[in-house]
Amino acid sequence: MNQQEVEKVLQKAAEMKVFCEYGQRTIPVLDEIAGFLNEISPAIEDLKAVLEVAMVNIPRASGQLIRVTEATEQASTQILNTLDKMVATLDQVITSVSSGMVASDLGVATNKMAGIVKTLVEKSGWDADIVELAEAWAAHLRSMKMSGPTSNLERLLKDLQDDCTEIMMALQVQDITQQHIGTVMGTIQAVAEELRKLTTGFFSVPAVQPLSINLPLPNDSEVVGELERKKMVESLLSKARAGQL
Amino acid sequence: MAKALVVDDSKTMRTILGKMLVGIGYEVCQAGNGREALEVMDREYPDVSLVLADWNMPEMNGLDLIKIVRSNPLYSSMPILMITTRGTEHDVVEALQAKVNSYIMKPFTPQELKEKIEGILKTVQVSAV
Repeated sequence: MNQQEVEKVLQKAAEMKVFCEYGQRTIPVLDEIAGFLNEISPAIEDLKAVLEVAMVNIPRASGQLIRVTEATEQASTQILNTLDKMVATLDQVITSVSSGMVASDLGVATNKMAGIVKTLVEKSGWDADIVELAEAWAAHLRSMKMSGPTSNLERLLKDLQDDCTEIMMALQVQDITQQHIGTVMGTIQAVAEELRKLTTGFFSVPAVQPLSINLPLPNDSEVVGELERKKMVESLLSKARAGQL
Repeated sequence: MAKALVVDDSKTMRTILGKMLVGIGYEVCQAGNGREALEVMDREYPDVSLVLADWNMPEMNGLDLIKIVRSNPLYSSMPILMITTRGTEHDVVEALQAKVNSYIMKPFTPQELKEKIEGILKTVQVSAV
């Protein structure tokens, strides 16, 4: 072995020394990492189980929200149809009341009396006394129509009609709620998709396909109050009209 | 009697809007999305004289509908009212850039709708003169 070869061996020995020193420092770190992995292993198993449950529950929750939306729309339609019928019925009642043809015993009796008076006039050959009686009867009928109870009833019926219309208008809330539910479902879908990627990529859990949701997903504009938003809309419309937009 | 086309995917809203419009004196036809609306407009041409469109709808939304309507010479001056829950400044500007005549936010009263429509019709008449 010549001098050059000896130097090479010594150099290798020095490198091995450095490597061993490095290894001595690294081994405790690796031990710590192994310990940490042992500790978190049950937690990872728990998380995996939670994700598996979530991947089933999230699509189920979306499905429930869809059913809620469908049910409220169906109910709203039923309410609207019923209100429609009520308004039509109230219309008929108001017409009857205003023409003095209330479907009650009084109305029937009044109509019967009117028929008798008419027959009497015709049979009497327009006898002056009978004609006077008919005129007095007509005046009585007019006063009945104008009397308090009937006009009050008419007003109350019209109030009821207005109430029906107000209920119809308030049902706009169904559509607004549906759109907000759509926004929430959009968020849930996004979370589900990220979880799906996580489970398929990290834990290799079989992916559950997220539900396909066709509801519209409006942007999140409910941060500002309704009144403020309406004012802002009006202000922008004015600017647009003035050509300032 | 003037005819208004209500475009909304919500049956509830179509019914409510239909009643409001009948109350104002319009005859009403309906569509559930933008694509259906275009079909109805062609079928009913030239009877439809006002379009009320929701923004968020499946298949074709209100904004895309308006852009298509405006690009058609037959309907380029058709009065259009956008009806929506979307109310950010960006939304309104986007709708105005698509050339809606006006914009109303849900919920609204029959009176508010009537005033909006009257406002649109005045503007349309002025620009026609």
